[in-house]
Amino acid sequence: MISGGEQAHGSSVMDQVGDNIIHHVSNSDIHHPIVHLPHLFGIDMSVTKHVMMLWVVAVLVSVVVIIPIRRFLRKGSGVPTGMINAIESIVKFIRDSIVKPNVGSKWVMMWTPLLLTFFFFILFANAIGMIPIFDVLGLSDRFLFHTNPESFLNRLLHGGVTATGNFNVTAGLATITFFSIMVAGTLAHGFINHWKNLAPKGLAWPVYIILIPIELMGLLVKPFALTMRLAANMTGGHIALLALLSLMAIFGEMFHSTAAGVGVAFISVPMAAAISGLEIIVVLVQAYVFTLLTSVFIGMAINVDH
Amino acid sequence: MEATAFLPIGMGLIVIGAGIGIGKFAAAAAESIARQPEAADKITGAVNLPLFLLEGVAILAEVFTFLMLIL
Repeated sequence: MISGGEQAHGSSVMDQVGDNIIHHVSNSDIHHPIVHLPHLFGIDMSVTKHVMMLWVVAVLVSVVVIIPIRRFLRKGSGVPTGMINAIESIVKFIRDSIVKPNVGSKWVMMWTPLLLTFFFFILFANAIGMIPIFDVLGLSDRFLFHTNPESFLNRLLHGGVTATGNFNVTAGLATITFFSIMVAGTLAHGFINHWKNLAPKGLAWPVYIILIPIELMGLLVKPFALTMRLAANMTGGHIALLALLSLMAIFGEMFHSTAAGVGVAFISVPMAAAISGLEIIVVLVQAYVFTLLTSVFIGMAINVDH
Repeated sequence: MEATAFLPIGMGLIVIGAGIGIGKFAAAAAESIARQPEAADKITGAVNLPLFLLEGVAILAEVFTFLMLIL
């Protein structure tokens, strides 16, 4: 709430609340980016908040996952210590209870790396949205630093933190799923047979007139549903959280008293805390779901027995 | 009366539908685990996937309602 930059003058609190919530879950404005970069191929390459968060997530995944694993592998056969223990249990869980039952033991070692990448990336990108570091920065800016609106710190405060709450990011992830389904089917059955496998064999020919368009549509619906599920889940949780906190401002405005707002705080703050707890579960579950569904779709392309 | 005035009703219908669906899943899973506790892992695995597909449909509907509301 604090970092909601510009105050809309003249409008009531009720009007500001909606804008403030949208401002907190959507990407920052391309016209006020964090880092200005030139146009490339007609695309504005300027770094907005979500792009920056993607980089932060990439650095975080490297530091927490990739570097310890590399160091462990370079050491040769050693007893896993510290961080490696945690990573190993996650990797084992994904390989043995997500990928293997769906993809099959023949292809499991080929597709586990991709799905592990998905899992760790989505997990970190989701989880970083639950850490209110930019709200703390905004609070200190508003009350301690008083930087001007065009400063780097102030530009940093615009926009949401959860990169996976952006439909473009999840659409990119789902595009990888889309192509990996194709690659999986092609490697397992050959290019022609993969497309033949889309519809089950041995039905009466009139059925195929309906079935083939449905299967082709299903090809696109699968990644589309993945896109929407992840982004909407991440956005929805944050909207619910902010809507509960906004109740304080709304009630204070409605009854023209600070006491009403403070009174509502005793209800809305514990509820927001409870929803934050729920969000932590959602963060884990959505990373799991994306991995699970991707492996199910890849498995459907490989093990065709409708 | 604007058409968007009915969108909250649509959202409510989505929540009711998804709630009934997920409730039935949870009830059936709990019952079958109670009958056969040793098969709990298999039951959870079988319930997970349709549960998330159902959730996906509900989320899609919510997103479309929301988009209609703001566009």
